[in-house]
Amino acid sequence: MSTKIQVEHLARVEGHGGISVELDDGAISSVRFDIYEGPRLLEGLVRGRSYEDISQILSRICSICSVAHSLTSLKATENALDVKVTPQTELLRDLLSRGESIQSHALHLFCLAAPDYLDYPSVTALAADHPDAVKLGLRMKKLGNTIQETLGGRAVHPINAKLGGFGKLPSVESLVTLREALLQGVADSEATLKLLASLPPAEFCHTDTVFAALSSPVNHGYYAGDEIIVSSNGHRQSVPAAAYRSLSNEQAVPGSHAKHSQFKGKPFMVGSLARLSVNTQGLTERARLAMGELGLRLPSNNPMDNNKAQAVELVHDVHYGLAMVDRLLREGIKQEGCVPVRPKAGTGTGVTEAPRGLLVHSYTYDEEGRITAADVITPTAFNAASIENHFRFTVEQSATKDVLVLRKKLEMVARAYDPCISCSVHLLQRRG
Amino acid sequence: MSKPTVGLFGLTGCAGDQLVILNCEDQLLDLVNALDIRDFLMASSANDTSCELDLALVEGAVLSKRDEEKLQRIRARSKALMALGTCAVWGGVAALNPQADRAKLLEEIYGAQGAEYDSLPPRALREVVKVDLNLTGCPIEKEQFLSAVSSLLNGDLPIFPEYPVCTECKMFENNCLLIEKSEVCCGPMTVAGCDARCPTMGIACVGCRGPVGEANIPSVLAMFGEKGFPRERIAAKLRTFAPVPGDHS
Repeated sequence: MSTKIQVEHLARVEGHGGISVELDDGAISSVRFDIYEGPRLLEGLVRGRSYEDISQILSRICSICSVAHSLTSLKATENALDVKVTPQTELLRDLLSRGESIQSHALHLFCLAAPDYLDYPSVTALAADHPDAVKLGLRMKKLGNTIQETLGGRAVHPINAKLGGFGKLPSVESLVTLREALLQGVADSEATLKLLASLPPAEFCHTDTVFAALSSPVNHGYYAGDEIIVSSNGHRQSVPAAAYRSLSNEQAVPGSHAKHSQFKGKPFMVGSLARLSVNTQGLTERARLAMGELGLRLPSNNPMDNNKAQAVELVHDVHYGLAMVDRLLREGIKQEGCVPVRPKAGTGTGVTEAPRGLLVHSYTYDEEGRITAADVITPTAFNAASIENHFRFTVEQSATKDVLVLRKKLEMVARAYDPCISCSVHLLQRRG
Repeated sequence: MSKPTVGLFGLTGCAGDQLVILNCEDQLLDLVNALDIRDFLMASSANDTSCELDLALVEGAVLSKRDEEKLQRIRARSKALMALGTCAVWGGVAALNPQADRAKLLEEIYGAQGAEYDSLPPRALREVVKVDLNLTGCPIEKEQFLSAVSSLLNGDLPIFPEYPVCTECKMFENNCLLIEKSEVCCGPMTVAGCDARCPTMGIACVGCRGPVGEANIPSVLAMFGEKGFPRERIAAKLRTFAPVPGDHS
């Protein structure tokens, strides 16, 4: 007898995707995380465009990760053109990316994931019974957007981060306002932790998981660095950014535009839980304690822990973000211009952490600064194989094979990855 | 009066315009109280996918047969349809090079399998169905969206700017990036409504809101020519987010 567990339109995620698992006499015959986005072909369409235009075009791959796409794009182009930005630019980009992560994690935890745990269809339905929890989530979300607006000039598709630096540096007044918002954020992050700790446990599958994240041992950040760590059962392996292709043996999959990434034949998970696994030592003291309060033990073998990991990062980022703003106010903003950028032939790779995981942009330019090749690999493309792997274990380890129960479990597993499906259609370009 | 029934939908794009709506943190709870939101897949798992809608808000461009059929179904059940964002209004970045050989790109990017993908040349919503209102921007501006919804709730048609970004730039007394700094700024040809965000931060306008109806294109092109900007660079830049009016090349 064959059974099909299908979620035709996965709700409360970014983009359009679905789930389908088929069982034959209780044994799994097919597992699919389907992607229904039309191919936009942006990596191909930008060919021939000037180095000056690329970050503004490719940030449009995704809205929720638009800061990450912009900054990764700038990093790739700056590497290709041998541009080294100032420490202040690095610091402001780091803070900007923390703003993005706060917004994205708050949106995901409160508006997309929390309704599952409390059995509501949406955040607005949740608001009717739990208005304070929803208002808390919206305040955290707004804090992230305030950081993005202050430094990036816009909450979605930032404009102010440009090649070599920033268009306009933040004023002291705007930093003081930001500081007040972050102080409120510190208090709100405590309430967020309490709320997350009170949610019912979600344990649908347990399995050894391989994690990959950008190494950030000092301050657990998203922007700086160019070494990727693959971590498996405590064993760590280093992959330089320029060798990102070893993280991906591109397999096109029927019915999906996501090509599946594997490292040495194993799927791996990217995102908050991967970052915590790789960069635990970079967490602030408060965030480290938060792990214990949420019952999060590393290495984790439960993909649902990604939700807890996002909460830990929220705590870390408001604390660390506040320290960064204090430092900027104490030391003052240097009124420096952008580092000059001149076209030349070259290849450059930029790797950062988007809120939902590792993001790679890699470009080649000709001597006049026109782009001749662009590769973009997004977190959800990296995660696709791991998501399907966890779907499989969820069905296998479930005591009941009731279709409705399994549907809800699979949806929650997919959502825990915080998938960004618009992103996931942008994949490796085939070479050779 | 009963609350208007509303659906929010995304075709192919980045979901940035739906995100702008979710980013209205201070107004979101009032907004959902003023409207009867029946279908909003990005925010809810309990949607009525067939009821009649007073207003459909649709973002993204039509890039596949799936998008086309979805849009036709939305149109058939909606009294009014508003296109949200530059992709829906103009085609957006996915349409930046209409001459590109898409079959070749599909194969290059996705391999032999690319040929099987559901892919159509990008189209704005109005090229597929009747569109009642166009709210442009990449992404849309929060204030413009909220004021458009308020107008509709009061039985009025929303008013959108019909002048170029330069007008807003002058109101902010910004130095002109085009005239004074010789940067390729698309402000003179781009419709306002963003409070000249980019030039105000010292960044040249990239034209993300699409063209303004009243642009004096020959005079702007002449000015670009005087500045010595290479012709193909200007053409590519101006066509990034939307077609240039009167340009059929």
